[in-house]
Amino acid sequence: MTGTRILRIVPLYIVLVALCAVWLLPVLSTTLVSLKDPKDFVSQKFYQPPVRIYFLENLRKVLNEYKLNAHFINSLIYALAGGAVAIATASMAGFSIVRLKPKLNFILFLIIYSGTLFPFQMYLIPVYRLFNVLGLYDTRTGMILIYSAICIPFSLFVYRGFYTTIPREIEEAARLDGCGPVRSFVSIFLPQSLAPTAVVALFQMTWIWNDLLFGMVLSRTQHVRPIMVALATMTGYGGGNIPWIMTGVVFTSVPTVLLFILLRRFFIQGMTLSIST
Amino acid sequence: MVVLLVVPMLQNIYYSFFEWDGLGKPVLVGLRNFVALFQDKVLGGSMLNTVIWVGFTLVFPVLGGLLIAVFVTGVKGENFFKSIFFIPLTISFVATGTIWTYMFSRELGVLNGIFKLIGLPLKLSWLTSVPLNTFSMLLAWTWQQLGTNMVMFLMGLATIPSDPVEACLMDGANGWQTFVHVKFPMLAPVTTVVITMAMVNGFKVFDIIYVMTRGGPYQSSETLAVSMFRETFTLFHMGYGAAISVLLSVIVIVISAAYIRRMTRRDLLYY
Repeated sequence: MTGTRILRIVPLYIVLVALCAVWLLPVLSTTLVSLKDPKDFVSQKFYQPPVRIYFLENLRKVLNEYKLNAHFINSLIYALAGGAVAIATASMAGFSIVRLKPKLNFILFLIIYSGTLFPFQMYLIPVYRLFNVLGLYDTRTGMILIYSAICIPFSLFVYRGFYTTIPREIEEAARLDGCGPVRSFVSIFLPQSLAPTAVVALFQMTWIWNDLLFGMVLSRTQHVRPIMVALATMTGYGGGNIPWIMTGVVFTSVPTVLLFILLRRFFIQGMTLSIST
Repeated sequence: MVVLLVVPMLQNIYYSFFEWDGLGKPVLVGLRNFVALFQDKVLGGSMLNTVIWVGFTLVFPVLGGLLIAVFVTGVKGENFFKSIFFIPLTISFVATGTIWTYMFSRELGVLNGIFKLIGLPLKLSWLTSVPLNTFSMLLAWTWQQLGTNMVMFLMGLATIPSDPVEACLMDGANGWQTFVHVKFPMLAPVTTVVITMAMVNGFKVFDIIYVMTRGGPYQSSETLAVSMFRETFTLFHMGYGAAISVLLSVIVIVISAAYIRRMTRRDLLYY
């Protein structure tokens, strides 16, 4: 019994450990390279430790030369503002859909679908044109607007799903005590909404932070372009200086990695939501 | 909302019937853009690549995610293994593409470095030789995507009640039989979602290709989303670009039809 068990467990471990090694390799190599002096990097083998820790010098170079800090601020604004607008709009809309029941089922579905599964390529040309006409092209307002619009459908989906789990009796009791829909939203639904709000914030802020397509199409200058576009252009010139680029990768990935580690519980909740429906 | 998403969608369909450079007056050409779609050699290659991407996505990130989810459950150090596959998920596509561009670099990259280290006389041009470049990018894609699918399958597996599984084992079924006849059928709802999502994402793939090869060399590694971007924003063939995006959307709608049907049916129950 134990003999066959060992025969089965050992190969499993070997495969798992090997796979994990493959999965860790890019992360470790990236970190290692970002620590190296570009001059040493060219002459060293990929696995050799850095001659001296050069990360801060690399970072300074990346910030000065590629102005990643400016793009960092841009994306931070977009993530916070876009997330906030999406949360405010979607929580109210979710409430009115669940409780006030407008007969707009199909349109609602269309809206949710349009922001979650639909290819964004479908909006690029009209939005690009609209933004040019309205003077929103290459402005922060425009970027916040489009990011919020893309984020609202998923947020609506999350809030609606959550609100259907709040028992109707509570609200009816409140109505007997003289609570209108606005009051019951503010004092019954909102206080309970921490979990869906965290889910929305985590997923949507990460999405905005990681977006490339809209940033590339709808902006041009350093004051507006989001961070991932900046990172993507760093590699554009035949490889470029690898230690600097890898420092850029580390610098731009830290916020989302931290967010995921801190809000891991809500990440699992959000995933559950997307499969349980 | 409606102004920013639903109206553009309709407008985009409208544009796809025109020839337009983005500045001058659009000229109505009827279905000519769509006819051109199927005669364009570059676009034919791009469609083929898209199909490769989707097929590969189903085999590696999805099936791989399922296998890892199944085998990692109950193994000592389960959480450690899970968090390692989880790491790439927190990293953006752009960063993933950038990291793997370095891994694949011909002179200084890690993969060719490993080949040299173990004495293999191989020095591959991972990203510039066709069709290797598409598969190189698919490796990066798998690295990024596997974790998501693994997490979804893990959650699906966790919801399976233990009674039928135990009953099955009691009757003398081995692990494999239990999986095929009990666990896998009970996992079906999750599998549907994961497969739909994976196919849709495979069809929409853009960032990784844009960062790693820009669709090159000579458009050889383009997928539909990348072709659409090039036609529209590099060559300013707005009408043609719109037609490509309509084609892409139709494919995505067809693929997700089963998923949509479930979503709408559930809505009917609510009202």
